[in-house]
Parts: sequence; C-alpha cells; structure tokens
Amino acid sequence: AVKKRVLPSRAALVLTQSAVQKVREIMAKEDAKGFIGLKVGVRQRGCNGLSYTLDYAKEKGKLDEEVKQDGVTIIIDRKAQLTLLGTEMDFVEDKLSSEFVFNNPNIKGTCGCGESFSI
Amino acid sequence: MFTKCFMSSMLNNSRYLLRSRIYSTKNAITPNEGVLLSETCVKRLKELCTDKIFLRLCVESGGCSGFQYKFHLDDQLSNEDKIFEREGVKLVIDETSLDYIKGSTIDYHTELIRSAFRVVQNPNADIGCSCGASFSIKID
Repeated sequence: AVKKRVLPSRAALVLTQSAVQKVREIMAKEDAKGFIGLKVGVRQRGCNGLSYTLDYAKEKGKLDEEVKQDGVTIIIDRKAQLTLLGTEMDFVEDKLSSEFVFNNPNIKGTCGCGESFSI
Repeated sequence: MFTKCFMSSMLNNSRYLLRSRIYSTKNAITPNEGVLLSETCVKRLKELCTDKIFLRLCVESGGCSGFQYKFHLDDQLSNEDKIFEREGVKLVIDETSLDYIKGSTIDYHTELIRSAFRVVQNPNADIGCSCGASFSIKID
C-alpha cells in the first residue's frame, strides 16, 4: 500500500518575538475583550496596489487560516493567504512611531514608505 | 443694531480666546500661517520631550508624490526655525518647510497596525500617498 506522505505543515505566517509580545499586549487590553485574536488582511490601496490591514477577530471564518504561536492567535483572511504565505510579522518600535512590519518574500515592489506593495 | 454689534464682538472675543488657548506661539503666528497640534499629539509629545528636546518636522523632497514629511527629535535650534508651543511641548519647523504645511494639523495617530505622528488636513497638499508620508503641492 502506498503510504500517504505527510508534509510538515509550515506556518503561513511567522511572528517575531517582539510581534508576539505586542499582540499579547493588545489582546490583554480592555478593547480586545471578546475577540479571539487579530486578523491580518490585505486590501487594495496605496500607490503600489496593496496594503496590509490589521483588525480584531471575533471568530475564525470558514476559509480563514489560523496561526497560533506562543499563545497568541492570528487569523489570516482568506483573500490574503496567497499574498502572505511565508511572511514574517515583526513589530518595530521607536520613539516617534511603532508599527507592525511584514517581511513578505512574495512581493515585487514597495512604495517608498513601505506601506503599500505589489506582488 | 446695538445687540448685533455686541453679539459680533462677543463672538470675535470668544474666537480670539479660543485661538490664543490652542495657539500660544513665540512669534505670534496666526493660525492660517502656522500649524495646530492635536490633543493626541500633545499627549505623546509630553511623554517624549524634555526641556531641551523637541520634535522637529521638515518637508523633504522624495516619496512617491514629490514631497514627504519627516519627523525627528532634535535639540538644536537655528535662526530659521519657528516654534509652536502648546502646554509646554514644542514643535519646531524651519521656515522653508513651513511654507508647505501652513494651516495643517499635526496629529499622533494610533491604530492597531501602527501608531505614528502625521500631518493631517494640509491645505497646501494636493494628492498624497495613502500612507500620508508623501504628498504633492497644489499648483494654482
């Protein structure tokens, strides 16, 4: 009999330690009560075509991908799965700004500010 | 007639009071020539600034729309600088940059994905990049 080959499942999205910490911080806040995690998506916007979105997630949609890492839950919107595959989600903070940065291997170009990108 | 006059002077007075409260600048610049600092901006600046350190905003060429805003913390003042002070915190803009951002509001915007200083409602800007960092100038 042919044994079904089991591929090791790779996480669709990897979070860095600082991102995990920040997500944990966000989820601990009062505003996040009743939500299971954060949802990452993409939408058409910006001078380079697409940009990332981040929202609270109430539940996992039927076709959404769920990533659990170190106790935090990130839901990837079904429309964003192909664009985000293999992306590293980082959180960068300095005095004047703090933001989630997505290191996405699939993208071809970004806008100067890094907010919008194309694949 | 008298009441009308009285009312309008009252209105002017209150407007003046409001302005002077929001707007206490060193060189007494009128609102259309200067910039406003929003509540959130002041709150954030209070956490960042000390007596010597202030926030500097300048306009550089670059970005996808021609010009871009740059914020950084600084402690050196030059002769060309204009100081905007509110509740003890300072925002400094050099004269050349000020020409491009007269009348706008400086805000500290917080959302899930990012929080950062930004320039909003810039009457001199035509179209901007979605990120808000870059803009182009209105040509009359």
